[in-house]
Formats: sequence, C-alpha cells, structure tokens
Amino acid sequence: MMSGCTICATDVQDILSKAVDVMRDSGAEFADARSQTIRNIGVSTTNGELRQLVQKSTGGVCLRAWIGGRWGYGTVTSFGKDAIIDAAREAVRNASGERKSDLELEPSTVKCHMGAQVRIHPDSVDLSEKISAAIDVDNAQAIDDRIVNRVGAYSEEVKENCLVNSAGSDISWQEVRTLCRAMAIAADGQRMERYYDGPDSTLGFEVVKDADLELIGRTAADEAIATLGAVRAPSGNLTVISDPMVSGLLAHEAMGHASEGDEITKRRSFLTDAVGRKVASDIISMYDNGTVAGAHGSVPFDDEGTPSSCTRIIENGVYTGYMHSLETASQLGCRPTGNGRAENFGKRVWVRMTNTYFAPGEWDKDELIADTKDGILCDKMINGMEDPVGGCFEAKCLRGYIVKNGEVTDMVQSFTLTGRSVDILCSADALTKEVVLDGGMCGKGIEDWVRVSSGGPYMRARMIVGGGQ
Amino acid sequence: MISNAVDRAMQSAGRYDQAEAYASDTLVHTVYIDDSKISNIETKRDVGMMFRMSKDSRLGKSSVSLNSDDSVDRCMSMAESVLSFSPVNGEFRGYAQPGNARIAQPDVWDRRVENITADELRELAKCIIENCRVDIPRAQIRVSTTESRTMNGNGVDVGHRSTLVYGHFTSMTVRDHPGEGMETFHGTHLDLDPVAIADALSDKAEAAAECREFKGSEKLTMILPPSEMGDMLMSSVGAAVNGENRKYGSTMWKDSLDSQVASESLTIVDDPTVRAPLSCVFDDEGVPTERRVIVEGGILRNFMNDTFCGDSTGNGMRRSSVEAQGSYDRTPVIKPLNMSVKPGSYSRDQIVEQTDNGILVEKFAWPEADELTGRFGLNVRCGYIIRKGEIVDVINNALLMGNMLEAVANIEMIGNDPTQMGVVTVPTMSFSGTELVGN
Repeated sequence: MMSGCTICATDVQDILSKAVDVMRDSGAEFADARSQTIRNIGVSTTNGELRQLVQKSTGGVCLRAWIGGRWGYGTVTSFGKDAIIDAAREAVRNASGERKSDLELEPSTVKCHMGAQVRIHPDSVDLSEKISAAIDVDNAQAIDDRIVNRVGAYSEEVKENCLVNSAGSDISWQEVRTLCRAMAIAADGQRMERYYDGPDSTLGFEVVKDADLELIGRTAADEAIATLGAVRAPSGNLTVISDPMVSGLLAHEAMGHASEGDEITKRRSFLTDAVGRKVASDIISMYDNGTVAGAHGSVPFDDEGTPSSCTRIIENGVYTGYMHSLETASQLGCRPTGNGRAENFGKRVWVRMTNTYFAPGEWDKDELIADTKDGILCDKMINGMEDPVGGCFEAKCLRGYIVKNGEVTDMVQSFTLTGRSVDILCSADALTKEVVLDGGMCGKGIEDWVRVSSGGPYMRARMIVGGGQ
Repeated sequence: MISNAVDRAMQSAGRYDQAEAYASDTLVHTVYIDDSKISNIETKRDVGMMFRMSKDSRLGKSSVSLNSDDSVDRCMSMAESVLSFSPVNGEFRGYAQPGNARIAQPDVWDRRVENITADELRELAKCIIENCRVDIPRAQIRVSTTESRTMNGNGVDVGHRSTLVYGHFTSMTVRDHPGEGMETFHGTHLDLDPVAIADALSDKAEAAAECREFKGSEKLTMILPPSEMGDMLMSSVGAAVNGENRKYGSTMWKDSLDSQVASESLTIVDDPTVRAPLSCVFDDEGVPTERRVIVEGGILRNFMNDTFCGDSTGNGMRRSSVEAQGSYDRTPVIKPLNMSVKPGSYSRDQIVEQTDNGILVEKFAWPEADELTGRFGLNVRCGYIIRKGEIVDVINNALLMGNMLEAVANIEMIGNDPTQMGVVTVPTMSFSGTELVGN
C-alpha cells in the first residue's frame, strides 16, 4: 500500500537540529523541534451505504523556545528549511519579553529510533479489507425493522514523530492506532435509543482480524432494541456498581484531571498538597500508565521526548503523586513522567493522561451483584466532565440495570452520576478481579483532544444518580 | 498558494464525473494565560486542501497539508486510491451547482485581527489579568485569519475570507473551598472588552465560592443564561433540524415539518447576514446561503441540508466557529451558520422576578443534551435558587434533569439579551418541568 507521503516527519531531522541551534543562538535557554506526519484512513457506512471514505495526510513542525520561564511556539505546515527556520525565530520572538521566572527545565537526553509494535501494519492491508470491516459491522446490525440507523466504522491513524532538543535528544517513533465500531439506533414510535460496541488499540489491523465483526454488529443492534424497553433511572444518593468503562470514567474525571501537574502548580486542583493524604478506601489503587502494551493511550515518548512511564496516583487509598510535563516537574522539583502531550504538531503541549485505571480487587462480578441489596448497575458510558477545583465530577451512563436483593432486574435508560470524588472513593467497598481498558479521546477544558484510555474493575460505591426524562 | 493548489487540482480532474477542490490558508495567533501570568504565545500557519471526486458512482476523497511541492499530486493520488477501492454509492447526488449570491457580503473581516502583533495580544491579556479581582488559572485568546477557495467541475468557484476571535477564560478565588468562574467570547472582530470579561470572571468565581451543596430533590423552573443556553440548544434543536439526521431517521422531529414542535414564543432563524463566526455568502461547498426560518412560532419550517442530503440549504460547512485551523481536513457537515433565537422582552432580572420556584444556572459542568433523545442530567457547578421571584440561595453539586426537546415546548419566558455563542445566538430562556436532585 502507498504510504501517502513523499516527505515525512522523519526526513527533516537535520533541519530540526538546525532550527534548535537557531533558537539556542537567539537566546532560548531550552529549545525543541518536533515534526509530525499523521496519516488517517476513515471509513464509515450508514444503513449499508458508504458514507465516508477518506485518506488524510497532515504534517508540520512545532518549534518551542523556553526563555525566562515562558514558552514561545512557532508552527508551520511545511517541511521546507526556510519555513522551519522562520518559525524557529518566531518561537523565540514569542517567548521574549518580561521574564516570568528563572525556572530551568530538566529534560532527559534520549537517542532512539523505533517503529510501531504491531503484528499487522495497516499499511500492509488493502483498503478494500478496511471497507469490508465497516460494511460487515453495519450489515450485522440489520436484524429488525426497529433498527432505523446502522453505522459501521473503521479508522486507523499512523503517526510519525521526530523530535530534537537542545539537551541532545534525537528521537523518532511511530504510533499506530486502529479502531472498529458499530452503532445502532432503534426506534419504536416516538422513543429512540442507541447502543455501540467495538475494539480500539495502539495495535495494527490484527484488532479487526481478531474481532468477531458479526457479533459486534449484532450486539449493538440487539442491545439498542432492548434499551427501548428501559425505564427511567431512579434519582438520589444510591449504591452504584460501575462497570469497567464507568469505573474508568471515574478514574479519569474524578481523580485523573485533578492529578495533572499543571493543575497542581496553579493550585487549581482539590488534590494540591494531597500527597500522603487518605483520599479513598483501602481497596483503591489508581495508576496512569503510558506503557500498557496495545492500550489506546500508550505512547513510547510524550511530545517533549520524555519516555512514557507508570505513575502511581493512589496506593491503597493514600494519594501518592502527580503526572508531569517538563515544566511542571521542574516547578515541583520532580522527574517528568512522560505526560507532556499535544493533540498534534499544531497544538500546545499540556500535562495529559495516557491510560488511567483503578487496580483490581478480589470479587467476582456475580458475587458482587449477589451481595448488593439495592443499587444500580452501569452499562457503558457516554461521556464525563472533570471538576478539579470543586473536587466533583460528572459521568453520563448509556444505560443500566436496577439491582434488587442481589438480582439484576429492570433495565434503566441513560442517567448521570455525580458527587464529591473523595466521598465516592472513600465509600467504595468492593472491586472485581478483572480490569478492562476502554479507549477514547480526552479534551482539556474544551479542546486539545488526545487519545487516552481509562478503565478498572466493576466497583461498588455511593453516588448521586439522576435520570433524564 | 491555495488558489494555485485548487487550480492545479481541478486542471487534472477532467477524467472524473464530478470533482471538487477546497483549500484553506490560516494564520493563528494565540496567547495563553496560566496562573495569572502570560505563559505562551503561539503563531501558527496552516495551509491545506481536500480533493473529492466521483466516477461511475464511486467516491474518492483525500486531504493533505500543503507542505511540499508535490502535496497536490499526493492528495490526488491518495483520493484516486480511495476511489479505486470505493464501492458503488447509491446516495451520492453530486457536488454543488453554481448559483448567484443571495445575500450581501457580511461583515466578517477585521483589519485589527489581520494586523495584530504578539505585543498587542500580550497587552490584551495583561489588561484582563490586571483587572481581574481573582486568579486566572487558565485562559486563552486566539485570533486568526482564514482564506479559502472552493472550486468544482460544475462551475462553482467561490472564495471566502474571514477573521475569527475566540476567548476562553477561567477564574478562581483563592480560599480553602475556592469558587470557579468561566467566560467565553465568540466573534469575528476584536471587540472583546477585557475589563468587562475581568469583571464577569471575578463575579462568577466569587459567587461560586459561596455555593453550598444542594440536598433533596424538587421540580422547578430552569433558567438558562446564553452561556449555558447556546450548547443546550445546539445539541438538542440543532441536532433535531439536521437534514442528515432526518435522512437517517435519527431525529425525533423527522416527521414534524410544519408541525408544532415548540412553544409559540419560539422562533429560530439561521441568519448568515450578520456579523457571526460562520456567516458567509457561500457555504464551504459553494452553495449560496440565505436567511432561513427554522422554527416559526413553535412550528418547524425547515431542516438544514448540505449537498449530500440534497436540496442544500447552504449549510455544508468545514469551518469551525472556534478554531480556524484545519478546515481543509474536515469533510463538510451540516452546521448552522448562525442559528438565532428571536429575543423576547424580558431582562434577566425580570425573568427571575416572575419565577415562583426555579434555578438560574450560572454554570453546568458541561451544558449538553443528548442529541438523539434530548435528555439531560447535568451537574450544576453554580446555580441560584429562586423562591417567589427572589434569589435565596446559591448551590452546587446537584443534578438538573429534563429533556430539551420537551423543554422547548414548555418555555416560560425569553430574555432580551441575545449573545453570540459559537454558531448560535441565544438570549436567556426559562423552561418549566425540570427536576433538581442533590445529595
């Protein structure tokens, strides 16, 4: 298959080195230059017809200069030497002005060139197979007239990164992500409901090859129809059994965002100065780990060239630490953790999560349900929102079930969970044995989307529940 | 540069039944505030194109950054590859047909934005910092210019240029239990008032710091100011009148054309004739735009369409109302140009005074209704409880629940304070029949 580009990010390493020299010579105390090409293929079908089929190749260079505690950025969608050097000078100009601080960064020096760790590289697979994957999950949903809208989707992303900095780092690496999804909408009179299913990863086309596409499509359709019979969820402060997806949403929204180093340096997080403090029940441990093989949020290096790592955030209920970029690590006197990430070459580097999850417990799922007298069991999430200042969170669930006297009873339609994060985690009294990660996109505030995953086991805790009308 | 790219692509597109090239050139300047200090200043240049074509009912499409001499050829070669694998598509109706402009050029270009320097941006940010009584943990002001050109084999050849100004600001009081405020600015011109923004940020954070946790549950009237109303309207009504959702049966209003779907007091017009981020004479597919009534006196009068859905209403958009860069990378989707709710006669204070039992929501965690069902259950970060026309309490950490597609049929009052919020212009509105649940 074609690679889709004749000039790639990795072809400009020498120019990046020169750009870093230009920034240093112009007064930058630290400088880095990062080039990136991003190749995407996206296929989506609706009701058996092809709706989208697109190949994209975007690329450019981001130059950063650090002067007086401030970053200046220059970005271009050009791999030409003159344009890159001009952007380097622009970065220095943007960083200049009144000094903000004398903070010095402590980047690691890394020399490494690596490809993606995949079994079947998407570049080696015919586009027709990718189209077939989307059509197969679409057609598998055609099981009932009540399915009014079927969507099958396949997407892949191949990201080539190259980074040079003034600390002597010289790195290139490739990231591959593959995703396949089914989404079914069922209608019955004036009621409409939906359900989705499908795998995602930093793996190659094996994600599709190894999946039962027929089952994924049929499950989405079956469950969308079943949801038409769901009743309104109860409201109030209830016992909730979060499924791995919603547990992950809690990890990400309730504690993850508030553990990002920049929220700590600004004292914008309720977890500022929390290291050593009890923030959850003894059974809760939580990590952000960019090294999980195959997980959607894994990266070998962050966008500042720091190798990815596993950060212990909570250990047996005690808060243990934050995630860092180069800047926040220096501000707090810590080592960078490999969490300085950007959506792409055209966006700012922030402290961002990778794969964030709760560690497993000792219960079986059936045992946990049998032990619950009165509660609500979550089934898949829609989205969530963090509240680092207030210490709360919001998690929207796609649907759930009432648990009564140890048995799963009525299905309930979409509902929302909220509450104070620490109160909820302190009320957690049971976790199941298996951790599942679910991939998605994470925005910071309202934009800057990066690929992450989150997850955990089934978890039982007390939360405020509200069902929409 | 983009004109050459589009010309070059279309010159070699004769072998296709249909072809379209779109290219955009964007220059973006951003200043970031972190912890009440200016932290970053960015300058970004983003140039690229998308090429789409059809042959024998098969479709090809590709987009690239124009970052080297062979970018246009690469784009077309990738699109050709897609075309060769594409199954026959029975839905495709062709790209836009040429048409005459139906509206005058809206005022969407600001010379101040065009000529802005890093120093001017820095001064603007400094003015907000200096006038704010509380901390500004995170904020950004982003100004940009965009020039684009759309050309297709049917004879469409239109250009567009506009400026965009977007601001997102957060504020925070420094206390044991801090309060947080947020402000946004959406516009085409640099008429952002830094002192007013600083005041609003201070007021909101100080109010949020006084919040107490809501306990219990009750039915009440929901009052949404423009900051919360914009996304609530867009995610519910915006999705319900989207022609693609209608085509695929995934809107509750699919069979409701010319039927009463909302209160008689609700009239919504998509109006690209005024100064708004996506106002334009031709949409991003080259279809002429016009002022169009969507809902009139509560009756659904029109859906919005692009060329894919047929009978395009000039709503096929690649551009974003908040971010200029990357429009060439986006396939056109149906989007309002400036969905405007006809304002009422009430000030916000009058709406509060005439509410017996309600909540004025200062800030949701994220204002959003379910696009399919209209349902919402949203965390209230800061809300004012109203009893007999008076604010008696300020609360947080509660869920406000309801259904926006039902709420628009239960409008109590519409305010006289229309405000631009992205692609919608909305006033304060109040709705009966929502439920608040706390701990």
